[in-house]
Amino acid sequence: MLIPAVLLQVTLAPNLSVAGAFPNLVLLAVVGWTLVAGAGSGLRWALAGGLLLDLVAPGPFGLHALALAAAAYAAGWCQRSFHADRLLLPFATGGLATVGYNLVLLGVADTIGQNVVLLPALQSWVAPAAVYDAVLMPAAFLLLRGLDACLPQRSAAPG
Amino acid sequence: MRPAGRAQPRSTRLFAGIALGTGLLVLLTQTPALAGPRGTLKGLAAPITAVVTHAVDRVDAGLGLLQDAGRQRADNHKLQAENRALKRQLAELQAAGRENADLRQALGFERSFGHRLLAASVIARSPDGWTRSVTIDRGRAEGIEPSMVVVSGAGLVGRVTDVGQHSAIVQTLVDASSRVNVYTALSGLDATAIGEGGLISMAVLPKPGVVAEPGEWALTSGIGGTYPRGIVVGQVAVFHRRDSATLETAELAPANDFGSLSTVLVIRDWMPAR
Repeated sequence: MLIPAVLLQVTLAPNLSVAGAFPNLVLLAVVGWTLVAGAGSGLRWALAGGLLLDLVAPGPFGLHALALAAAAYAAGWCQRSFHADRLLLPFATGGLATVGYNLVLLGVADTIGQNVVLLPALQSWVAPAAVYDAVLMPAAFLLLRGLDACLPQRSAAPG
Repeated sequence: MRPAGRAQPRSTRLFAGIALGTGLLVLLTQTPALAGPRGTLKGLAAPITAVVTHAVDRVDAGLGLLQDAGRQRADNHKLQAENRALKRQLAELQAAGRENADLRQALGFERSFGHRLLAASVIARSPDGWTRSVTIDRGRAEGIEPSMVVVSGAGLVGRVTDVGQHSAIVQTLVDASSRVNVYTALSGLDATAIGEGGLISMAVLPKPGVVAEPGEWALTSGIGGTYPRGIVVGQVAVFHRRDSATLETAELAPANDFGSLSTVLVIRDWMPAR
């Protein structure tokens, strides 16, 4: 699931750009799976998906894994704290997780000495990307929940 | 709200472990000493992404045919490419016109487009909005080195950051950490073009009474030695004049459409000053 998502992220997703933003398919998969299966499982997906993304992205290794882990942890908190709603919870979590993911990317980039101009970055691509991912997240959630229902019973251990 | 279960401490510990591990990995692999192994490792995925990109392009073309728009789109791309080439020529003429008094500079400008070039196909793009990069299907084996300058028929694309055996990652001008020193072709203002994750802004050194007009071309100035002089970067879209500011600002429309780049040219016989 994650390997196709990563490959499509660097080939197809940039072609789906709207208002300067394009969807993050790996983030959608990780956050969607966190909402379905819990934070522990989502964090493992985040680590695997992030390291795969680091393999095809510029810059140091671990950056996307760290950002996705933060997004999955935040999504896990949302999943535990609020009653699941078929549309509202995935929608809100998708937007929040995208903002968190991008803020971690920006924060680490600033820490390692890259030039970060926060406000234009938030305006020009973080906010549009958050809206884009929020809109797509309910569909991703329903898809992954259907996939989960088809899979053999997972371990009952909490995430 | 519903109460958090026992999963919270467990997932918190897991998150803390992942954050610590990946944080250390970031700090370790961002060091220049590990740039070579990092590029090699990143190049491992290039053959797969090249195949997927080809497949995506074929599906895209197939859908275009189904909609009876494929030919129109190809014509449109051709016309756009011709249009970009004409714009570049216009920019060259503007620059040459300004520097006509100094024949050496004009000849230097002409020579800047006479470099040895290596054509490469774009096989992947960056996965996030922060890093606006493209991956090309040429690498160390074809003579590509870090910091080499990459152009297209329309103008400057960016520079190589990571190099694998048969692939390389190119940081484009719209990348948020991209900085390029430029000058405006007619008004002769010096500026720095700053990538903003999709857009380019310019921090302009003011000259009394001089203003860059919308439509004026910005070209690499060569200052700093990172890029050769005279490559088209973009066109001034808006110039913000502030009388009290130490730096004026402008917005730049890039010469390239970075979302649709499919072929680029790597300048092989020019390297940045160390």
